[in-house]
Amino acid sequence: MIEAILIGAVGGGTSMVFAAVGETVTERSGVINLGVEGSMLCGALAAYAVGIETGSPWIGVVAGLLAGLALSLLHAFMVLTRKANQIATGLAITFLGLGATALFGQSYVSQGVVPLPDYAVPGLADIPFVGPIFFDHDPLTYLSFAVAPAAWWFLFRTGTGLRIRAAGERPDVLSTMGTSPDRVRWIAVAIGGGLAGVGGAQLATAFARTWSEDMVAGRGFIAVALVIFAGWNPMVAVAGAYLFSGAVVFQLELQARGSGISIFVLDAIPYLVVLIVLAALSGRRRHAAPESLDKVFDAGGVPA
Amino acid sequence: MSGVDVDRIAVEPQSDDITVEPSPPEVAPVEERRTVPGLRTAGSMLGAFVVFGLLLLASGADPIEGYRAMWNSITRDANSFGDVLVRLTPYLLAALAVVVPARAGLFNVGGEGQLLIGAVGAMAAANALGQAVPRVPTLILMALAAMIAASLWVGLSAWLRHATGTNETISTLLSNYLAALILGWLVFGRWKDPGATGFPQTRLLTDAERLPMLWGRVHLGIVVALAAAVTIWAVLRWTPWGFKLGVLGGNPEAARRAGFHSSRLAASALMVGGALAGLGGMLQITGVEGQLRPAVMSGYGFTGVLAAWMVRQHPLRAIASAALLAAIAVGGNGLKIRSGLSSASVNILMALLLLAVLGWGRRLDRKAT
Repeated sequence: MIEAILIGAVGGGTSMVFAAVGETVTERSGVINLGVEGSMLCGALAAYAVGIETGSPWIGVVAGLLAGLALSLLHAFMVLTRKANQIATGLAITFLGLGATALFGQSYVSQGVVPLPDYAVPGLADIPFVGPIFFDHDPLTYLSFAVAPAAWWFLFRTGTGLRIRAAGERPDVLSTMGTSPDRVRWIAVAIGGGLAGVGGAQLATAFARTWSEDMVAGRGFIAVALVIFAGWNPMVAVAGAYLFSGAVVFQLELQARGSGISIFVLDAIPYLVVLIVLAALSGRRRHAAPESLDKVFDAGGVPA
Repeated sequence: MSGVDVDRIAVEPQSDDITVEPSPPEVAPVEERRTVPGLRTAGSMLGAFVVFGLLLLASGADPIEGYRAMWNSITRDANSFGDVLVRLTPYLLAALAVVVPARAGLFNVGGEGQLLIGAVGAMAAANALGQAVPRVPTLILMALAAMIAASLWVGLSAWLRHATGTNETISTLLSNYLAALILGWLVFGRWKDPGATGFPQTRLLTDAERLPMLWGRVHLGIVVALAAAVTIWAVLRWTPWGFKLGVLGGNPEAARRAGFHSSRLAASALMVGGALAGLGGMLQITGVEGQLRPAVMSGYGFTGVLAAWMVRQHPLRAIASAALLAAIAVGGNGLKIRSGLSSASVNILMALLLLAVLGWGRRLDRKAT
């Protein structure tokens, strides 16, 4: 049972790994993007539709990345160029993604797509316990193993990463050094949106292998919560994504065994787990928040 | 957005630029906006309609036909106009649930769940009373139960914020999913109507448990919602509590130095907001639905967030924004029937309208950030 839960946790958590790692990069620059939910939806539909039209799931994945990216660029334009409130803009962007995928996705509902196949890594997949958990998945899941270390290396070991963190912590210093914080933030938001798009693509073409309206079902919002949960550390964000999807699989497993507990109580477990861990860690995590991110939450908007 | 208009903007000032024109160029920007109040916003909102039309075109639908279908479905007769008022009711209360906490600098994005918990509270009260009480006290008790239930529900987020520093935006967002599960648990489980063969829904409310109708499908809820908006406006403007919320939202440090009990104030703002959304949930099931179903009021809470932000959390102006969004939502049904498009498509238009206001509306609040 433990093995089954862990296998499901990895496969089902992949889409959130991409989204949460991407959002970590975005938030490190001092921008919060609640539009990742919309980016994931657009990524899912674009990957699915383009996959059907071209017959190639890989071209679909690229389309998913571009769709997620496009929506996040709208967020960047709104909050950086037009100086709109970040929370409200992000929610509006998610609404936009919800509507746009409903409009353009209608003809794709319950059409068959060529799925991204599972590919067992020769040799490694045969290792007992570890093999099936980590080495018998779709290619995007393998890619997701690399995305968090890559993001960590990018944020903490490259010049651009340093500038992204500086934009999040001390934008004034960055300006003094002659770099525009907003230009750096554009890059960080785009990375987040692109990764969310890939996450959506994995959801539609490898995990669910279908398209339905609002199929992301809150995974993008969960990803945003996981970033805080992880203290803006991409490696911990991955653990959070697997914890959430592991809780999902755990309750499905309990249901399958006929535990006698209502499925709705079981369904609540993953959300409760995230909420409780978030609450337990919040006190300590607050100091880990990028400084200019705090200002986002201050702007309640007092009417005239 | 599609880049089609780039050349035209370069040649002649189009869309929102035109609204700036009437004022002389030497006037300072802030003054400029004051000379043409609302025009700039109106221009940018018009742009949202144009972009939505272009997207309809891109999806293969006829935008003129689409807008006509939407317009017809809200203006066909008194009933269709009434449908807008009926939808306005929960939207407005969900918007007010955002407005009150926003005054204290808090984001309540849990309206979706608070509407549901309110509806659940109202149903629980109705079940507990067991049709033993006359109509008026029944409805009042149901409304109170709804407000208390939803207020305690968001109180959990307020408590988490106070005790652990958990951000209320995230906790209210996550609590929406929990509320939907609680509703599902009741509707599929202990509250499931044995008479409804297989359908996951509760019993129908009796006549004594339902709101009186004003005309057609329009129920008393619209009066309650409008009264709530005016009350909230007055309370925020004229009571010490409203003043303190404004201080807390505008300058938390000043609030602390003035000796305000900040986290108690914050909690009260969230809980009053929750109570308003809960009332909205009660009005919707007693005025429209007559029972609880799994997907009831789906999206209403988020629409309330859009409505509140479109008017920068002004309680009275929220009436106008909620009405506009209600008209669009009702129009979306027409779009679905006439053009065969998903009724969720109008979410695009709602989102674009908010983006237009956020990015191109008056921006007095932007100096601070």
